[in-house]
Amino acid sequence: MNRDSLIQKWLDNNLSPEERKAFEQLEDYNILIQMQETLMSFKAPEFSVDKNYEELKPKLQIKKSQQNWLKPLLRLAAVLAICFSVYYYTTTLDTKFDTQIANRTDIELPDNSEVVLNSNSSLVFNESNWSKNRTVTLNGEAFFKVAKGEKFDVVTESGTVSVLGTQFNVKQRINYFEVVCYEGLVGVKTKEEYVKLHPGESIKIIDGKLLADEKETATQPSWLRGESNFKETPLKHVIAELENYYNLDITVDDADKMRVFTGSFTHKNLDLALQSITIPLNLSYSKSGTSIVLKRE
Amino acid sequence: MNQPLQDHICNEQLFERLYKKHSKNLHDFLYYKFGDRLNPRDKVQDAFIKLWQNCGKIAPDKAKSFLFTTANNLMLNAAAHQKVVLKFEKLPQKTATNQSPEFILQEKEYHKKLQNALANLTEAQRVAFLMNRVEGKRFKEIAAILDISTKAVEKRIYGALKKLREDIEGL
Repeated sequence: MNRDSLIQKWLDNNLSPEERKAFEQLEDYNILIQMQETLMSFKAPEFSVDKNYEELKPKLQIKKSQQNWLKPLLRLAAVLAICFSVYYYTTTLDTKFDTQIANRTDIELPDNSEVVLNSNSSLVFNESNWSKNRTVTLNGEAFFKVAKGEKFDVVTESGTVSVLGTQFNVKQRINYFEVVCYEGLVGVKTKEEYVKLHPGESIKIIDGKLLADEKETATQPSWLRGESNFKETPLKHVIAELENYYNLDITVDDADKMRVFTGSFTHKNLDLALQSITIPLNLSYSKSGTSIVLKRE
Repeated sequence: MNQPLQDHICNEQLFERLYKKHSKNLHDFLYYKFGDRLNPRDKVQDAFIKLWQNCGKIAPDKAKSFLFTTANNLMLNAAAHQKVVLKFEKLPQKTATNQSPEFILQEKEYHKKLQNALANLTEAQRVAFLMNRVEGKRFKEIAAILDISTKAVEKRIYGALKKLREDIEGL
């Protein structure tokens, strides 16, 4: 056993009894022991684990509770703020319905009033204040079954229709405005005048001219049954209406667009619909792709 | 001690166990490395407070190295790094009182020499050496505390011993 490895073992507190004897025989034994004894005076001050932990504890609580409180609270507040703003935004937002060509939608309003929105039309209303302000904005054609309640307004470009609880049809297309009352009482206010419609009465303004109309006997607008009905209506409005049901581009070649048409066409069969319009007017039509040309026979 | 599979230490019992396991070793480590001038006890407490504040981010098996690194940095930040002056306390207590004044003087002188020699060791050597000699820790235990190999501990301690003897005898 050499000197170095004995010292190593001594350092590691790992001497066997024999090795210890050998170690004690070493010439530097006394020097090492003297150093060892003196070194003990450099011992680190007593660190009382339990006492120090008790001292630490209250400090931990403060720091921890600060963290525990504030951060989740701020997070919660942020989430709530976002929820509230989304809620506020969505409830005050206008609700909008759109229909494409040859489509229609049944809409139930917040007070259970029913609206059937005809093709190529849009209806906008605001749900948030519905019980006090029953106003819808209409662009196109729709049939209304209004539940009893406060005044119900249908705002269109051509005029406002106000009612109390009734069934009526509003049709507002380019240069064409028609209101038919089926039940109850409807007030129609246009730029020029204010008209009250009783059941069966209608008002029609075409190209700015007010047209007197016969009594309506049907209980529902014909388009709800998949048909469009016309009485002495200029051809161009009939064609415009046709384009609302069929995705087509219709041009009228050397035929009188202002000629009046009385009759109806179906929404379900293009050829049948074209025939219903062209035959009574002595016209013919030719089809190529999505464009159709009407000609005099 | 096997820790359960947890990814954080935000649990008071677990934290207390960590404190009991590491606080004394950490304190001794700081003391032998930096002396008592910078109040190692406070640094231990601060390091544990920091550990608690970050408890959610630290896995149990990383706690020890977090504590040692944090405490070490706290020490380094506490004062610009100066030459360590170890103000070790109390002289060796001798039970025998019938010693000649000359002997006592010699003894005092030796103590002073040893103190200077210790201050001249590298920090790494001093920490390992005093943990071994004064705290009576085996090489293996020191290796675990300092996260180094047993061989490295052995080298540091043996190197420290050699250097101390040279210093004391050379003067």
